[in-house]
Amino acid sequence: MPRRPWFAVLQPLSSRRRTLLGVSSFLIPLVVWSAVSYLPFLWKPLVRVSDPGDVSWFQAGMLVDRHAFAQEVERVEAEEGRVPAGRRANPIYLPAPHEVARALYTAFTTKPVLRGDKWLHESLATSIKTIFYGFTISSLLGVPLGILCGAYAAAARLTEPVVDFIRYMPAPAFGALMVAILGIHLEPKVAIIVIGTFFQQVLVVANTVRRVEPSLLEAAQTLGAKRRHLLLRVIVPASLPDLYNDLRILLGWAWTYLIVAEVVGVSSGITFFINQQAKYRNFDNVYAAIVIIGVIGLATDQVLGFFGQRIFAWRSLRPSRFRTLVNRFFSDRYLVLFPDKPETATTRP
Amino acid sequence: MMSSRTFRRTALAVFALATSSFTVLAAPLKVAYSDWPGWTAFAIAGEKGWFKEAGVDVELLWFEYGPSMEAFGAGQVDAVMVTNGDALVTGAGGARNVMILVTDYSNGNDMVVALPGINSLKDLKGKKIGVEIGFVDHLLLLNGLKKAGMSESDVELVPTPTNQAPQVLASRQVDAVAAWQPNSGAALKAVPGSKAVYTSADEPGLIYDTVAVSPQSLAQRRADWVKFVKVWDRIVAYLADPKTRDDGIKIMAARAGVDPKEYADFMAGTKLLTLAEGAKVLAAQTDGFDSVLGSSKIADEFNVANGVYAEPQNVKSYIDASLMAEALKK
Repeated sequence: MPRRPWFAVLQPLSSRRRTLLGVSSFLIPLVVWSAVSYLPFLWKPLVRVSDPGDVSWFQAGMLVDRHAFAQEVERVEAEEGRVPAGRRANPIYLPAPHEVARALYTAFTTKPVLRGDKWLHESLATSIKTIFYGFTISSLLGVPLGILCGAYAAAARLTEPVVDFIRYMPAPAFGALMVAILGIHLEPKVAIIVIGTFFQQVLVVANTVRRVEPSLLEAAQTLGAKRRHLLLRVIVPASLPDLYNDLRILLGWAWTYLIVAEVVGVSSGITFFINQQAKYRNFDNVYAAIVIIGVIGLATDQVLGFFGQRIFAWRSLRPSRFRTLVNRFFSDRYLVLFPDKPETATTRP
Repeated sequence: MMSSRTFRRTALAVFALATSSFTVLAAPLKVAYSDWPGWTAFAIAGEKGWFKEAGVDVELLWFEYGPSMEAFGAGQVDAVMVTNGDALVTGAGGARNVMILVTDYSNGNDMVVALPGINSLKDLKGKKIGVEIGFVDHLLLLNGLKKAGMSESDVELVPTPTNQAPQVLASRQVDAVAAWQPNSGAALKAVPGSKAVYTSADEPGLIYDTVAVSPQSLAQRRADWVKFVKVWDRIVAYLADPKTRDDGIKIMAARAGVDPKEYADFMAGTKLLTLAEGAKVLAAQTDGFDSVLGSSKIADEFNVANGVYAEPQNVKSYIDASLMAEALKK
């Protein structure tokens, strides 16, 4: 049997290849990063001074440009002084992987010194709470409005022009305003995330709803579906899987605004940690925090993806026990959800 | 069953208790502070419970400097810790305030950091300097230039957010930056061989750091604010005593979220003022840098000249030295 090619247009990969490539996509950057960090001959434009020798402005631990270091060595040699010593190093903004790993570990295991201060995982919980509230509020408003805009041209015309306008206003610009209205604690932060997410959400949802197959609508109309039925029984169910994916992407937007939101009002959450460490140039800690956010984001998205595949199983080929469960759960409650009971047989007079 | 009389009496008692406890438990004084050693020091009082001991309920709220002023401007906090110059800026922006306490003056933590080979402000003639226009270090720079016999037109200013100063200097697109700690120190570290060619230590009193209170809160809760001011002396004493200094710095570093050794470096650049010292500079009526009034007048001129705000401020109305004086007597 001939081997299947790696690059076959629009062909799915075998599951082994999928895993292999998925792992590699993480490994490749890590390997590059390690190579730049650990291989002495790759890059390394600076020298970390270990012994200042007779150079007045050198200090132990200082990072010096390689050429400047060489010049000083030459000069001291010519003056027959004590030659400085040092090892080649990378700039401070590129810590080695093990340094970031160590920062990650110490950040989580360092006990807060002050009474009432937070552990890193507690700060993270605060951040996640902020995101959760922001995204939930945004979705509760944005999804229904988006569906209406997608379904009814009149709703779209009444909403979308202004939403389109506000969408271009950067959420951070509302910071001081939100503090004035909502105070300094959680509320203005949540509001920034809502502002950052909501307007995009309306437009994205509306667009998704507009892409519902026209043939489905025609078929439903042929079968006598009226306006409300069309919306609730055809349009919404047909676009649900795509809406679900939209929300997954929009959740990423919410995370983007977190970093802005958390400097509004009282410093809080993971952003406080990042800003403070950046101010003091502890970049290993900064990378650690960025990695944490990345991991949380990826993990959430994977979990949502997992459930999505099962909830909307007609989109994927795998059968699922979870879907069966969901279906069974809702099949009984169908009448409760849509109480206009077309199934009930009416007796003719 | 309770008779209607007993019921009425009980209800009255409950009501009386509720209202009395309400007046006793007034809302805490909300104070916004940020990462400057003279202000972070208040974390010591918070941690040790000194405000409670002094009989005043204080809620210290930790901010970035900019957002702290926003929160004060929005009326969400009773007081904010700002430089005397920024107190005027905040006030001109509609958030009237009164400086009731001087915590310190910058004694070297604000710097003009220049690339290697540049040894004085004079060497910067015709060169580029990164600075946050309209903020305290712009004032520091102008003051230095004036002393060196130059003016702003002799150099080219590049608008640079203070927290990006180290990166901007390291990029070598400018020849110097003006910034305050920890950014100025980070700039020195980022470019080996770079040098602070002018610092706030060359002009003590150019930048005073203060606690600015809203006039309303000051009018309603004056006695509480006196108690607040009094606690400051205890903080300064704690940091002056070699036995307790390290513990104090440890608390401050923890508040800032960094290593105590790193934070200890900034202490030298901040001259903390005892209540007696502070009361003197806050009450003094001079035109020079030896009083908050004189320093603020100079800052006011600078602010108007640079379009930070349009109308000169009534500087005297921003200063109330009576609370420090009263706290001293007690």
